[in-house]
Order: sequence, then C-alpha cells, then structure tokens
Amino acid sequence: MALLSSIDTTRMLSLFLILGAFALRAEPQAFDEYQVKAAFLYNFAKFVQWPSGSFASSTDPIGICIIGQNPFGWTLENMVRGKMVGDRAFAVRQFSDTQQASQCQILFIGSAEWKRTRALLEAVKNPGVLAVGESDDFTELGGVISFRLDGPRVRIKVNLQAAEHAKLRISSKLLSLAEIAKKQP
Amino acid sequence: MSESLSRGRAGRRIVILLVRVGVSLSLSLGVEIRSPAQTLPPRDLTQFTLEDLMNVEVVSVSKKEQKLAKTGAAIVVMTQEDIRRSGATNIPDLLRMVPGVNVARVDHSTWAVSIRGFNDVYANKVLVLIDGRSVYHPVFSGVIWYAQEMPLENIERIEVIRGPGGTVWGANAMNGVINIITKSAKDTSGGLITAGGGSDAQAGALVQYGGKIGPTGSYRVYGRYANVGKSDAAAFAQPADAKRTQEGGFRSDWNLTPRDLLTVQGEVRLVDGGQTLTGVIFRVPPITATFGQPARDDDGNLLARWTHRFLNGSDISVQAYYDQSHVFVFGVNNWASIGNVDFQNHLRIGGRNDVVWGLSYRANANRFSGNSLVTLHPLERTDSLYGAFAQDEITLTQTLSLTLGSKFEHNSYTGFEIEPSAQLVWAPTAHHTVWTSAAKAIRQPSNIDSGLETISAVQPLPGGLYGLVTVSGNPNTKVEQLRDYETGYRAQLSRRISIDVTGFLSFYKNLQTTEPEAPYFNPAGGYLAIPLVFDYKAHAVSYGAEAFANWNVTDRWKISPGLTMLNMSVRRDASSHDPTIEQTPGYVPRRSYQVRSFINLGRGFEWDQTLGYTGPLASGDIPGYTRLDARFGWRLGESCDFSLTAQNLLAPRHAEFPDIHFVDHMQDQRSIFGKITWRF
Repeated sequence: MALLSSIDTTRMLSLFLILGAFALRAEPQAFDEYQVKAAFLYNFAKFVQWPSGSFASSTDPIGICIIGQNPFGWTLENMVRGKMVGDRAFAVRQFSDTQQASQCQILFIGSAEWKRTRALLEAVKNPGVLAVGESDDFTELGGVISFRLDGPRVRIKVNLQAAEHAKLRISSKLLSLAEIAKKQP
Repeated sequence: MSESLSRGRAGRRIVILLVRVGVSLSLSLGVEIRSPAQTLPPRDLTQFTLEDLMNVEVVSVSKKEQKLAKTGAAIVVMTQEDIRRSGATNIPDLLRMVPGVNVARVDHSTWAVSIRGFNDVYANKVLVLIDGRSVYHPVFSGVIWYAQEMPLENIERIEVIRGPGGTVWGANAMNGVINIITKSAKDTSGGLITAGGGSDAQAGALVQYGGKIGPTGSYRVYGRYANVGKSDAAAFAQPADAKRTQEGGFRSDWNLTPRDLLTVQGEVRLVDGGQTLTGVIFRVPPITATFGQPARDDDGNLLARWTHRFLNGSDISVQAYYDQSHVFVFGVNNWASIGNVDFQNHLRIGGRNDVVWGLSYRANANRFSGNSLVTLHPLERTDSLYGAFAQDEITLTQTLSLTLGSKFEHNSYTGFEIEPSAQLVWAPTAHHTVWTSAAKAIRQPSNIDSGLETISAVQPLPGGLYGLVTVSGNPNTKVEQLRDYETGYRAQLSRRISIDVTGFLSFYKNLQTTEPEAPYFNPAGGYLAIPLVFDYKAHAVSYGAEAFANWNVTDRWKISPGLTMLNMSVRRDASSHDPTIEQTPGYVPRRSYQVRSFINLGRGFEWDQTLGYTGPLASGDIPGYTRLDARFGWRLGESCDFSLTAQNLLAPRHAEFPDIHFVDHMQDQRSIFGKITWRF
C-alpha cells in the first residue's frame, strides 16, 4: 500500500494518458457483428444473379432495403458508398414495411422484427427479391438467406427452394460456404 | 460554511482533473495524426473474400439492446464486456458504473445502493431481480447487498431501469429496477478457473465446468470462494467488517423442441463476516457502546422456467422458484422461505398491438428471533402476494407508439393496489428517439413497518435515571406512493457518438415518518420510555436529470461520460413531528459525474479507467470525493487472461456514507486486485 500512496495523481494521470496514446497505434480488435453482416450483404450482390426485369436499366443501382429497425446504423451506407458491381452502384433504403419492395433487390429483415417476419415474407413473394434475415426460423418461414452466429463467427444458411421461387441464381461459390436449409415438406 | 468550502474544493479538483484529461486527450489525438497506423490502408471489410468474412470474429450487441433504443423508459444495459472491463469483484462496485445509480460503500461488507434518492443500507424503493428472482428482502424491506454474491463471469447483462417499473414488476419497483441476467449454459461450455488476490486480504477463486447433456441440453456447475479482510485499523479503532463467501451453483438449459426452452438453475451460498456496530448495551443503567458483531447469511434457491415460442411470434413463459434464506445481522436472526410462480404471455394482435400480460403469486413465510435491541411482532408471519398485469404497445403511426398498462396486485397489508403507466415513444428516424412517460408506483409495507420494536438510543437523565428511545412499527400501514413524469431523448449522433438524456419529476406521497409520542415512565424497567412510532406523514418532490454518452474516439478507444443530478425536497404534514425526515434528501449526492475510458492497446492489452466525482452528503456530513479506478488487462491468446485493478488511486481513503442502522461507517480504502482467468 505504501507503494501506491507514493504514486501521486499527476503521475498516474500522465501514465494513463501516455498509454492512451498507444491505443491509437495498436491493432484493431474484432469487428462489430453488423459490420461483418453488412460486408456479407455487399458480397451477396456479387454472388447472386437477379432475373431479367429486376432492374429498369443496366445501370440501375442495386437496392438494399432494411425493413423496420436498422441494426446497421450507418455502417452499411458507408460500406457500399462508391462501390460498384458491374455497372451498378448501391442504394441503401429504409422502409417500415414491404410496400416499396419493388425497389429492393436485397431485403434485410432484422431479428428485432421477428414477430412480423412471417407476415413480411408473405408480402414479398414476388420474384427478384433476395430476402435476408437473422431470426432462427427465417429460412423455414420462406426467407432466402439467414445469418446465424456460431460463437463469434457469422454463418449463412440458404433456402434453395425460396431462391428458386424468387428466380435468383446463387453462385456455387456462395453455396459451397453456406449451410443448405432442409427441404420443406 | 464548511460544507460549501469542501464542495468548492472538490469542484476545483474535478475541474483540474478534467483539464488534465482534456490536455491528454488532445495529446493523444495529436499522436493519431502522426501515427504510422494511419498511413496503412484501413481494414476495409469489402476487400475481404467470403471465406475471410466467415472467419472474422465479431462482437455482437445483444438483440435486446437494439430494442431498448426504442423503449419509453430510462434504461441502461451493462454487458459482459463492460463487466469484465470494470475489474469489479462484486455487484455494487459494478453498479457504480451505471449513470443514475448511487452506490456507497459503508464498510467492507455493507453497501447502500439506490436510484433517484432514498439511499440506505436497506434502500426500499429499488427492486433487484437475478434471473427473474426477486432479492428484495420481504422483512428488511430492501436488498441485503452483503448476501448478493455470484460469479460475475456468468452475468450476460445487467439492465438498470431508472424510474418506476411497477406496471410490469409490481410493488417496490418504485424508483428503479435492476435486472441481473446470467448466461445460458449453452454459452459457458468448457472449463473456467479464476484466481485472484490483493490488498485488504482480498482473495477469490472460481472453478466452473460446463458441457452438453444429450443432444439438446447443456449445463454448468461452479464453486466459488471470495474473501475481503477488515478495514484498515488506522482509519477506525475496531474494524470488524471482514466478509467471506463460499458458494456453489448450477444452471442447465434444454431446447426441448426448437420452440421450447427449459431452464433449471439453483445455488447455495454461505456468507459470513461482521460489522462494527454502535448500539445500546443492556446493563443497569444501559450504555451506548461500539462493538464488533458477526453477520451471516446462508441461502439457497432453485428456479425453473419454461418458454414456448409460437410460430406467429407470440410466446408463453412459466417460471417458478423457491428461495430459502437465513440472515443474521445485529444479533437477530430471520429465516425466510419464499415460493413464487409467474406466468407471462406475449401476444401480437393485428398489426398494431403488442400485448404482454401475466399473473403472479408469491408466498413467503418468515420466522424472526430478536434480542433486547431489535425484535419483531409477530415473530412468525406468512404473507401472500398475488397480482396480474397487462400492457399493450400500440403502434399509432410508423414513428409513434403508445404503451399503456397496469398492474393489479393484492398484498396482505393494504389489500389491492394499482400501478398504471403510459409511455409515448416517437422515433422520427432510426437514429433518434424521443419518449415521455407517466406512471404510478408504490412501496408496499413489510413486517418491519408493522411490527418493529427496537431501542435506538439511551439518554441519561438527572437523578441516576435514564430514558430509552424506542422505535416501533405501526400496524396501520400505508403504501408509499409515487407519481412520476419523465421525458428522454436518445440519439446516435454519428457513427461514433451516441447520447442518452432523461429528465424526471417525481411526487411522493405518504412517505414513512417516525413520530414522537408522549414519554412515559416504565416502573418495572425503571426507565423513562421515549417512543417513536412509524407513520406515513411526509411528502416529497424531486426532479433531476441523468445524461450519458458513448464516444468511440477510435476503433480501439471508447470514452463514456455520464452525469446524475437530483434535487429533492421533503415536506411533513402539519400533524407530523418527525425530527429527522427532512434529512432524507441529504443521503444522496445532488450531483455526480464520471468519465470511463476503455482502450484496446493491441496485442491483447487493455487499459481502462473510471474517474468519478460524487457530491457531498448533507446528512451525516460526508464530504464529496473524487475516485479514480484503473484496470490493466492482458489477454494471452484464447484461453488465458490476466488483469490488475486498482481502486481509489487519488486518495488513501475516503468515507462514502454515514453511520446507519447501528452500523459504523468505515472508509473506502485504496486497493489493488490481481486476477488470472483460464478457460479450457
């Protein structure tokens, strides 16, 4: 205890501050869950082919729509800003329901919306919409891709029937890394 | 005069500290500009391949937290990461970090914890739940923090709600609710061993193992030991406030079907130690003396909860628990047995209504054995409490929702009580939420309120006579009532900065007073009795604000400042002669501030500090104090980490709370604690 008493406030604080400066040079830690999920959404645009007629023109942006609560904050917008897939840029939109789903190629339904996930999915059964979710039963309910946390890692699960229904062609590269949902009876 | 002087001094001190922190911040930022790390390309996740993304480790914010951003109440969630990085070894020390919670250490084994005023060792207006089990003591009317021990590693999160929560949680959730939620056994598989030690004879060890049972079940079992020695004899002549905890417990979680979850958990605990008391000792004539007195708590509980989720998003849960405890404090014993059943149903009706309703029943049987200083009438008593609640969250427009609800509860002292509330939440964008609420809440009477008999002081009188001041309960109990109005604003101002501000106005009615009655001579005892009897003749108005922010200065450095302001005035009825009730507001600081800093130094090193100022307590003459706690952590790969935590770096010792309920307050000392954690 005598040792501690002899260290005065100023020195303690200086130490605190010097070490604070080190913080800025160190390696970054793990990513936020939604940073990684946003990066997956960006990748889906590269590994999925939409049916013809999904876009008005060949330079129409890829619409990523977040329905209801947005868990990404600004992460998703910042990530896809200035990015192109072919000739297409991205447009991130937020809607409270699926009425404007025609503007969406990728439709994200967060787990906070789990209570109305089923209803939302029923409403977007039109082709050309890649419904991505994260509730446990998202693919069972008819969603195309769902995120799942496996410890600290993000895993994806694909419902092939739903993808076929939505006329989406998912590349084998993506499928080889995904878990395939069991066929619905 | 002296009070304003000390306040001025403390004020200057914090200003100096903040200036120094500010200087250092700007220094650090200066470094950032020149930092070589800045010249490297940022780690852009869009450059990652799918395989890389699959292997990235993520830190997830709980789903619950996202929903909390839209809650019409003042709520803060402390995550396991916050808990780990606090370096705390006990729950009250953890709660110090939560803006709006007033935590004061009375001695090494005794704490006073409250929200928005009325702090006390038995603060009776805050409800505390551990995994849905209330730890508010039915006799002592408050949480015995002495007994609230658990492995902090197993806590998933702590939700602190400031303001009334009576609509959902019922009686005594008056000024706030603290919900401690432990991790599912699924998340604690494998072995965990921790060992630590430090100054003041602090020692602690945890041995835990978890695994799977069959294809759907998982379990963990643990044993834990913790010790803290007596306060420094240099600060107080006869410290007796050591404390030792031995406990063991288990939790098992079973996914009976993909939609059914069963949790069964239980624990047994033995805490023994002591306190230094000043009280009346029976001799002829009686005297007031200061002495060390052992204290003890042994308790055990068993809880089971079944939850079923329907495909349409509704759910049902049933929870039952049994809790048995024995408390031995200031020489009296209380044995309590509590049985509790809760049923809850969550329904989504149409597109607009999100309804939660529930039923609850609780029975508690108490047996008390008193002594000449404190006793209770009757010594044995069984009470039941039953109630129902319903709450509907109505979506009015896309951005506006209204929640209405009420609890209807029957207690065996005052019969039926109603605790309604209304909350309006406006979330114009995803990043801003404004809310306002109105609620009524109550504190329900306990055995102490109706049947306490205690001798609180001895008064020598001329002629060799003496007077005894007695405090007695009053069988005509009333509920203490609160009508509360609040408003708040939460915002994600930028990618790196979020803020949360709450303002409240609270009206208390029928607060408990101790009324002097006419003294009389007791010929058999040969003394003059000076009786004080409980009544409910005071009212209070309080208003205040709590604000905090999170600022992710860089990806590796987070700063969280917070402030708490409370102004309370207490008024007696004209018929009340309570000499002390007006001191009530003085048991809580009017102002407190804190800044927490969390830094990831890289290579697994962490450096975290909390700098906080707590204003003076007018009652009991406790000066304001500034404390700096620091933690240094080092993660050695996946399986091992080491931490060193130092508390009270700025001064060797300071007092945090006055003497209360016979307990002599000690000084909180500078201390250091090192800990090794090993996972396998």
